[in-house]
Amino acid sequence: MISALGLMGAPMIPAPDLTYSWAQALADLGQIAAIATLTGFFLFAIVTDLVLPKRRRGGAVAIVAVTGFTYSLGTAVYRWRYAQGGYAYHQFATGDNFALFFEILFATLGILTVALSHSYLKKRGMLESEFHILIMAAVIGMMVLGSATSLVTIFLGLELLSIALYIACGFSRRESRSQEAAAKYLLVGGFASAFVLYGMALIYGGAGTTVIPEIAKRLDASAAGNPLILLGIVLMGVGFAFKVSAAPFHMWTPDVYQGAPLPVTAFMSVGTKAAAFAMIVRVFAGGLPHLAPEWQALLAFVAATSMVIGNVMAIAQSSLKRLLAYSGVAQAGYILIGVIAGGQSGLAAVLYYLFVYMFMNFGAFAVITLLAGPDGDRDRFDDLEGLAKRSPLMAVLMSVFMLSLAGFPPSVGFFGKLFLFTAGVSAGYTWLVVLAVVMSVVSVFYYVRVLIPVWSSSTRTDRLPASISSSAVIWLSGLAAVGLGIYPTTLLIAGQLGANPISGP
Amino acid sequence: MTLTTIWLLPMIGAGLIAFMPPRLAKWMGVVVALAALAVAADVAFSFAPGYHGYQFTEAAPWIPQLTIFYRLGLDGISLWLVVLNAFLTVIAILATPVKTRNVSRFVALMLAMSAGLAGVFMATDLVLFYVFWEAMLIPAYFLLWIFGEGERPDRAALKFVLYTLAGSLLMLVGVIGEYVATGKQTFDLATLATLAPSPSIQFALFFVFALAFAIKTPLFPFHSWLPDAYMAAPTPMLITFAGVMGKAGAYGFLRIAVPLFPQPVDWWDWRWVIPVLAVAAIIWGALMAIASRDMKLLVAYSSVSHMGFIVLGIFALNVQGQQGAVLQMINHGIIISALFLIVAWISDRAGTRDRSAMAGLAARMPVMAGIFFVVTLAALGLPGLNSFVGEFMTLLGAWQRAPVLALFGAIGLVLAPVYMLRLFQGTMQGAPAGPVPRSDIYAGQLVLLAPLIVLMFAIGLDPNVLTNLMTSLGQVGLAR
Repeated sequence: MISALGLMGAPMIPAPDLTYSWAQALADLGQIAAIATLTGFFLFAIVTDLVLPKRRRGGAVAIVAVTGFTYSLGTAVYRWRYAQGGYAYHQFATGDNFALFFEILFATLGILTVALSHSYLKKRGMLESEFHILIMAAVIGMMVLGSATSLVTIFLGLELLSIALYIACGFSRRESRSQEAAAKYLLVGGFASAFVLYGMALIYGGAGTTVIPEIAKRLDASAAGNPLILLGIVLMGVGFAFKVSAAPFHMWTPDVYQGAPLPVTAFMSVGTKAAAFAMIVRVFAGGLPHLAPEWQALLAFVAATSMVIGNVMAIAQSSLKRLLAYSGVAQAGYILIGVIAGGQSGLAAVLYYLFVYMFMNFGAFAVITLLAGPDGDRDRFDDLEGLAKRSPLMAVLMSVFMLSLAGFPPSVGFFGKLFLFTAGVSAGYTWLVVLAVVMSVVSVFYYVRVLIPVWSSSTRTDRLPASISSSAVIWLSGLAAVGLGIYPTTLLIAGQLGANPISGP
Repeated sequence: MTLTTIWLLPMIGAGLIAFMPPRLAKWMGVVVALAALAVAADVAFSFAPGYHGYQFTEAAPWIPQLTIFYRLGLDGISLWLVVLNAFLTVIAILATPVKTRNVSRFVALMLAMSAGLAGVFMATDLVLFYVFWEAMLIPAYFLLWIFGEGERPDRAALKFVLYTLAGSLLMLVGVIGEYVATGKQTFDLATLATLAPSPSIQFALFFVFALAFAIKTPLFPFHSWLPDAYMAAPTPMLITFAGVMGKAGAYGFLRIAVPLFPQPVDWWDWRWVIPVLAVAAIIWGALMAIASRDMKLLVAYSSVSHMGFIVLGIFALNVQGQQGAVLQMINHGIIISALFLIVAWISDRAGTRDRSAMAGLAARMPVMAGIFFVVTLAALGLPGLNSFVGEFMTLLGAWQRAPVLALFGAIGLVLAPVYMLRLFQGTMQGAPAGPVPRSDIYAGQLVLLAPLIVLMFAIGLDPNVLTNLMTSLGQVGLAR
């Protein structure tokens, strides 16, 4: 039975060479230097939290966290510029440009999140140091996902990221909605993990290895006739779709986004999505290039439903968090076009889009974070009323984020879509691009609707309180959302350099 | 750098003026707009007629991965639209009352819109064209919405944006499709004009581009955003909104749809579909204008009718038609601005826009009536005034293409006097009735209109000044 299904047909694996020298250990550590640095600071942050008196913990841990992210960012940038990326730990991880690109992205995201949440946590009276430590853990998980080249390490990163976020979602302990979000995310996330794991098991059964470059060599086009491999692809695809919150597996997204505290929502809306896309690209484009027609068909279906459901559902929302959640579903659909198109131009477009999506989406959430009061998040449309009077610059920046998400030039949103769609049409997926464009028109309706309370006349004139760190986050995001659009070349070159999921020796 | 100045100057000006106090903002706005006009005029004076190719070109690599260039250039078509845009921006900002709420933001947005429009007319790279095309929607949206009149300006603004975007986002697919289909990895308009894809691909690409331009123009079945938007738009905005932005659609036909897709033939010939729609727009717009009692609405519908002539001229696909179309773009820009201003001033003084509610105003404001009469005559195409030349040339061109088009198009010429003269006679002549106007036209308003009136006569008497330079075309595919 088993041999009939071809599982025994996988070639025998030679016994791995188990000699492991110090020099090798050092080289391997170098390949994951950004992760190692951050992990070091993560441990240091825990110790700081333990030894310092209670009221000084929060600020100190925030400083440790930001320092850690900055060092990690610096390490990744240094390695990008000067070091030779390659496999580490018997091809279980890698330090190639693809991994470094995501390490840079996640480290930046970490800095933004800590800076944004500092004043928010104070205002809401939440535990601060624990929060930053959780964010660090989640970022480590994301970085592991970015640099993993084995199904095992991928799962490791996925779980590290998810478990940290399960807790973070329920961080507002006295709020039942936050608790509900955590429970829902835990259940659905566990479900998705199980799907991914089941799929991985089947792929391992077919290929006889968990190492992605090896899988790419062993599973050729003939594997498309093997139902278990196909089932493995489908199961992994379902799990991945859960994680990127792509329809029809998006149901958890609006509830979790709404219930989780705002900085967590902002963090996961960008981070989880980028990490999951790193995983999709690494496994599908990197590990299963010969089975491309199969997973492309699956992803094309997911992309199409995401764009339709996300955009249509977002119209009816009255909560900004839910609106941005559905917009995130739709955006996942756009990004999938780049994954499906594949090749250097398609993957470069995906990387570019993920990087700029961080700024525009995080920026939008950051502006909403400013509105939060001590009792809870205020994310109704009415809460935005009079923003133009209360803080004109924040109103301008909010407009930038919304117009960027809607894809207006000269913002990054437009150029991201231009690159994705060009790749899509070049690869022959014109129908998908036309659908994306039609749904983009729908999206303009709800993105612009957010701006109506912002700019309409209102009686509220009290100044909007904004701490320096939060303002800096929003300003940085706003400048990036325009600057990386007017001059997209460098980031796109970086995307192209990072666009090879199975590079290196 | 000359051309970059023309759009960058108002753009930077907009950024600074947004934070200035009201009175200073208006006059700084005028200064910036005048500076842009001076640069544009300088370009027009040193422009070489008969030159093949773009002049004053600028090129710099922008996104080399997709061979997207920052390319600007002017030819005989775009030159006049750039000048018109700069000129009408000056008029529009001058016409802005200082006591408008948030006037500094208004002036800033006007300048930003003007910058975007200038960019559309000067871009010779398809992606750059698209960027300006979409970017100018943002100031237009905020202008319509925040400064709009009427009950629900936000609805009108949203309708305008969604309509236009529905077209222009599909155009984005067309832009990408053209890049992929030609297989030459270029967005340069002059090069693309020499690389026509296969007719069936041209058919599809023409469709998406033409749809975007038809909505923007607007052409007959796609015009339903226009009454709402024009009704909501404040008068100073209408000067550039109706006067220039409406031309962007027609310009797109002339610059992109016609030369890039010379044979868009698959199931049927697009080159026949568009002129038929244009004729429909001419007649429909005129009929709706006749049926409108609101003066502003009447002028808005007359605009639909006049834009029909322009598109008809473009799709005559011969020299007379296309030169007439460009000439008519300029003429219409001048006339529609004057009409909207006069109508706004009259209704301001009378307290209503309903033309049937007033009569015999001429006795109480004779100077206004005189000016209005001149503009009315220009709008209905009296020989000796500017509109006659343009409409005559477009109809001549259409006749050469197919007499039936010209015959039906000429119905518009018959209907124009009906609605224009009924508007004029109904409000100005007869026994005085209805509301009593507060005053005659102010001296300042007269000075504002004077350059428009002078241009109506000047172009009407000597259109060769404009058409001479139109012989310089930037790319192949247009009738020389």
